Amino acid sequence: MALLTWLIVGGVVALLLIFFVTYYNRFVRAANRIDNAWAQIDVQLKRRTDLIPNLVETVKGYAKHEREVLENVTKARTAVMGAKTPQEAMDADNMLTGALKTLFAVSENYPQLKANTNFLQLQDELTHTENKISFARQFFNDSVLAYNNAIQQFPGTLFAGLYGRKSRAMLTVPEAERAVPKVAFA
Amino acid sequence: MAEPLLLDEQIRANKRRTVVIVALMLLILGLVVAAAGLLLGLPLPIAFVFAGVAALIYFLISAGSGVPAVLRATQAREPNVSVREEKLLVYRVEELAIAAGLPKPRVYIQDSKDINAFAAGRSPKEAIVCVTTGALAQLNQEELEGVLAHELSHVKNYDVRLATYTIAVVGIIAILSEIVFRVMWYGGRHGGGGRGRGGGPAQLIMIVLAVALLILAPLISRMVYLAMSRRREYLADASGAYMTRNPEGLASALEKILHDLPDDPKGSKTVAALYIANPWKRALRDSVWSTHPPLERRIQLLRGPGAGVEPRRRLIDAA
Repeated sequence: MALLTWLIVGGVVALLLIFFVTYYNRFVRAANRIDNAWAQIDVQLKRRTDLIPNLVETVKGYAKHEREVLENVTKARTAVMGAKTPQEAMDADNMLTGALKTLFAVSENYPQLKANTNFLQLQDELTHTENKISFARQFFNDSVLAYNNAIQQFPGTLFAGLYGRKSRAMLTVPEAERAVPKVAFA
Repeated sequence: MAEPLLLDEQIRANKRRTVVIVALMLLILGLVVAAAGLLLGLPLPIAFVFAGVAALIYFLISAGSGVPAVLRATQAREPNVSVREEKLLVYRVEELAIAAGLPKPRVYIQDSKDINAFAAGRSPKEAIVCVTTGALAQLNQEELEGVLAHELSHVKNYDVRLATYTIAVVGIIAILSEIVFRVMWYGGRHGGGGRGRGGGPAQLIMIVLAVALLILAPLISRMVYLAMSRRREYLADASGAYMTRNPEGLASALEKILHDLPDDPKGSKTVAALYIANPWKRALRDSVWSTHPPLERRIQLLRGPGAGVEPRRRLIDAA
């Protein structure tokens, strides 16, 4: 009889232990995925800001009069580099995307610029990094969703409280980014 | 947010069905082995050991269907990054790999006028994506993205591995029933063979059932495999649409494929199931014998409400 009691107690303890370890690891994995997703965004943001000065120089050579457009691009780039939180960085990046869209739209008016291979290559590469950023952001949000589900669903929520795990915030995109920028052609 | 969730549920439903199909395959294999054992007069454990050894040999042989073999069969080449179209292709693949959370797959190009693409590799690490020059020439970037997302979904869902294993099971079943019939044929001519123990009507019924099973199993297993292949195509469409958040890109690409009749197929027919659409023929109706669901149906699902939602179907979509 005593043996049976011990077996039951032992079984319950072992089961609890397995639960504790499993949930601990599950949360760590989910949280690491978010951090890794952010690191990916960060790398691409850096790459993007590195490309801008080159682009500005190239455009200047052909379209001197577009000072305001170029200044907006430079300003947005500085904002991306100075961002302190992920959401701040994303907001600044959205600004940069908008400024670049205007720049590329304006460049349509300069056939020589459009024919410049360096410009074309920069344009392709900037689009490339922008796509990477938006997919990385999507992956980031998917990761946050999975993490939040893990810590909010039962019985995970019990362990989440124990381990001090709190819900994380997704990166939001302003509606404006989806809209096509309006550019007035002279 | 409602739409991605819908897709999400469809992806899960598709995965559940695949599990059922694989279980069914294994069940058929088990029954075939048991029937073979009965007809050849072998005790069950010995029959299963024999089948296990045969399966192992078959898997080792099918290792030859790996990435290098596929590349050779399809005459794929590496992209030339000084050509803008091919450079942009590499860019698009890199971007979507981030969306899928996969390591960057290697990119290949197949020189063919047809619009097509395929993925190969049994794990995301060794995965490759190949696109025809016809696709590069005729699809815009959005459509190309849709096609690539479909291919990366195959990689992410381990479809190539699944296909390799299920084809192996289909092959083993075919070989087993072939062996049993040959042995019985010769055994019969040499008088009795291994099962001359007599027995009542129950024994006779069992033997008749076993023979029927061995005749039908190769056909059924092939049908089940093809049903699974079509299911995985729907799944790749749905998860590809989820990946790009843009079902229209893939739908529009499939529409172009629909109107671009295949006239320049390269490679071997054994890799037909790998492609986004069968390079040799286009299924017009939902046939039990096709590797892919009809394009019209796929387009309709991608454009329907809750994009990517598949119809309610029976397990084996027999006519």
